[in-house]
Amino acid sequence: MLATMTTYVFLFISLFFEVFLLVVFLERRMAGGTTPSPATRTSALPSVCIVVPCFNEAHTLEATVHSLLALHYPADKIQIAIIDDGSTDDTLKIARGFESDARVKVFHKENGGKHTAMNLALAHTQAQFIGCLDADSIVAPDALMQVVPIFDNPKIAAVTPGIHVREQKNMLQRMQHVEYRLSIFNRFMLAAIGSVFITPGPFSFFRASVVRELGGWRYAHSTEDMEMALRIQLAGHLIANQPQAIVHTSTPRTLRGLFRQRVRWTYGWLRNAIDYRFMLGNGRFGDLGLLVLPSAILSIAAGIYFFLRILWNIGTSIAHALVSIESGSGIPHIGFNAFYLPTSALWFIVFASVLLILALISAGSLIGTHSRRPPASTPLFLLFYSFLVPLWLIAAVVRATFKTGVRWR
Amino acid sequence: MLAITALIFATAFYVSNYFNNQRVADVRNTEDSISTDILSLETQFDLLTEHSCGNIAENTILPSELTSLGSELSYLEAQGSSNQVEVGRLKSLYSVLEIKDYLLMQQLAVRCNLKPVFILYFYSNKGDCADCEKQGYALTSLTETYPQLRVYSFDYNLQVGALQTLISIDDVEDHPPALVINDKLYYGFKSVDDIQKILPQLATLQKSATSTAATSTKK
Repeated sequence: MLATMTTYVFLFISLFFEVFLLVVFLERRMAGGTTPSPATRTSALPSVCIVVPCFNEAHTLEATVHSLLALHYPADKIQIAIIDDGSTDDTLKIARGFESDARVKVFHKENGGKHTAMNLALAHTQAQFIGCLDADSIVAPDALMQVVPIFDNPKIAAVTPGIHVREQKNMLQRMQHVEYRLSIFNRFMLAAIGSVFITPGPFSFFRASVVRELGGWRYAHSTEDMEMALRIQLAGHLIANQPQAIVHTSTPRTLRGLFRQRVRWTYGWLRNAIDYRFMLGNGRFGDLGLLVLPSAILSIAAGIYFFLRILWNIGTSIAHALVSIESGSGIPHIGFNAFYLPTSALWFIVFASVLLILALISAGSLIGTHSRRPPASTPLFLLFYSFLVPLWLIAAVVRATFKTGVRWR
Repeated sequence: MLAITALIFATAFYVSNYFNNQRVADVRNTEDSISTDILSLETQFDLLTEHSCGNIAENTILPSELTSLGSELSYLEAQGSSNQVEVGRLKSLYSVLEIKDYLLMQQLAVRCNLKPVFILYFYSNKGDCADCEKQGYALTSLTETYPQLRVYSFDYNLQVGALQTLISIDDVEDHPPALVINDKLYYGFKSVDDIQKILPQLATLQKSATSTAATSTKK
C-alpha cells in the first residue's frame, strides 16, 4: 500500500512538472514568444572574452579554436583565451600554434581545475562579457552574434546557448541527441520562468562585472557551472537562454564514459543543492525555489525509486519462475490472453507521461531547429534511456552521501 | 496546471476502473454460463432414464473452463482492484460451482460408469502457506498435461458454507497445501512426479498434444 502510494505521488509530481512546462510553453507560443528569432544588434558591439579551458584536449582543441576564429564578430572586440590547465599531452603545443592570430592568447598553469582556468582568464581580461567553450565543442559562426544582444537587458547576467550533440556515431550518442533536444526545451522554458540553475560549459556567457562582483568561479564539487548559476540567481540577477546560439558538443561514446560524466554532474548538482539548500522551497526565489529546485531533487529520488521498483518486479518474476521450476513443472509459459493485459491506472499514467515527454522533445526540436519532428532515435531514447539514468543517479547519491568527491577523468 | 494533472490522473483511474469492471463482468458471465450448464446437467441427470449416459457425458463442464475461470479470479484478486467485494463474491460462487461439479461428476461416475480423475486442492492466501504457490504450479502443469484431470482448488479460509462443509467432511486440517486424491488426504507439497505416483489413473487419461499455458491454480 505504501509502495503504491509512493509510486502515485512520484508520478503525480513528475507529471505536474511536465504539464507545467508544456502549459507555459503553449501560453508563450500563443503569445508568439517561443519561436526565437535571430537576435540583431545595431548599437556598438561590446568586447568579449571566450575562455577555452583545456586539460589534455590535444585531439579536439584545434577544431574548437577554428570554430571560434570563424565567429562573425569584429576581431578587435573578441579575445580567445586558451588556458592549458597543466596538460600532459600536446595541448599546449597545439594552442601555441594559434598565437599568431592576434585574437588568441595562450596561458599555461599548473593543473587546478576548470574554475581556476576561468578565474585566470577573468583576471587577464578587460572584456565586458566572458564566456566559456569546452575544448570538445564547436560553435556556429553566428552564435556569438546571437548571444550578445540578449545582454542589452541590464538585469541579465548570463546567457546559455542551444546545445546539440556533435556526433552520433552509435546508439548511445543517438539517445543523447534526443536527451539534448529535451534539454533545449527545458533550458529555454526554465529561462522563461527565471529558473535556470545551470550555465553549461559549452558557450555560456556572463557579464564580467557580475562575475567579479560575485567573487569569480569556485570549485563547487567539480560543477562550477551549476554553482555559478545558483549564485547568480541568489544575487537577484537573471539568466537568459538563446537557443539560436548553436553549439555542438562531444558526448561520451561509451556507457562507461557517459556514466562517469553523469555521476559527476549529478554528484555536483546534489552537493551544490545541499550547499544552497536554503533556496529550496524558498518563495523569495519564485518558481526556482518553490518548484524547479524541489522538482529536480525529487526527480532524482523518483528515478531511483522507479528503477528499484522495476528491479523488484523483475526479481519477483524470477522468483516465481524458480518456484515453478522447483515444483517440477518447468518455466511458466507466457501466452497472450487479453484478459491479463495490464490495465491498472499506473500504466495509463505512465503512458500519458511518455506522451508528454514526446511532446516536450518535439517542442525542443521546434525551439532548437524550427522543426517539430523529434529525432528519429526518440523511440530508442524512450525505451532504453530511462533504464540507464538510474545507474548514475544511484552512484551519485551514494557518493554525495559519503562526500567521496568526483574526478573529471 | 494542478487541475490538468489531476484530470489526467482521474482519467487514468476512470479508464482503469472501466477495464476492471469489464473483466469482472466477463468472469460473472462465465460463472453464469457454468452455473446454467451445471443446472442443465443436473436436470439431465434427473432425467437419466430418458437420456443416454453418452449424451450427459458430452455435456459436462470442461475442466479447462473451471481452471481458466479460477486463474482469472486469482488474477483479479491479486490486482487488488477497487471492486474486491464483487471479486470476493464471484470467488465464493466459483467455489460453490466447483463443489457442485465435483458432486455431479461423482454421481455420473457411479451411474454411467465413467472414470473421472479428481484432485481437491486446499490452499491459503493468508501468507501462512509457503508451498502453496509451488503446489499451484505443479497442479497447473498436470492439468495442462492431462486436460481431462479435474482439479478443484479451494481457498481454505473462504467463509462459504458449502466449502466449510466439504472441509469438515474430508477432515482437512488448517495446514495447507492439502490435497485430497482418491479420498485420501495429503499435506505438504507434492510434486508432479509425486502426484503421478499417487494417482496411477492419470496414465489412463489422454495427454494434451502440447503442454500449454501455466497459470496458477492458486486462487
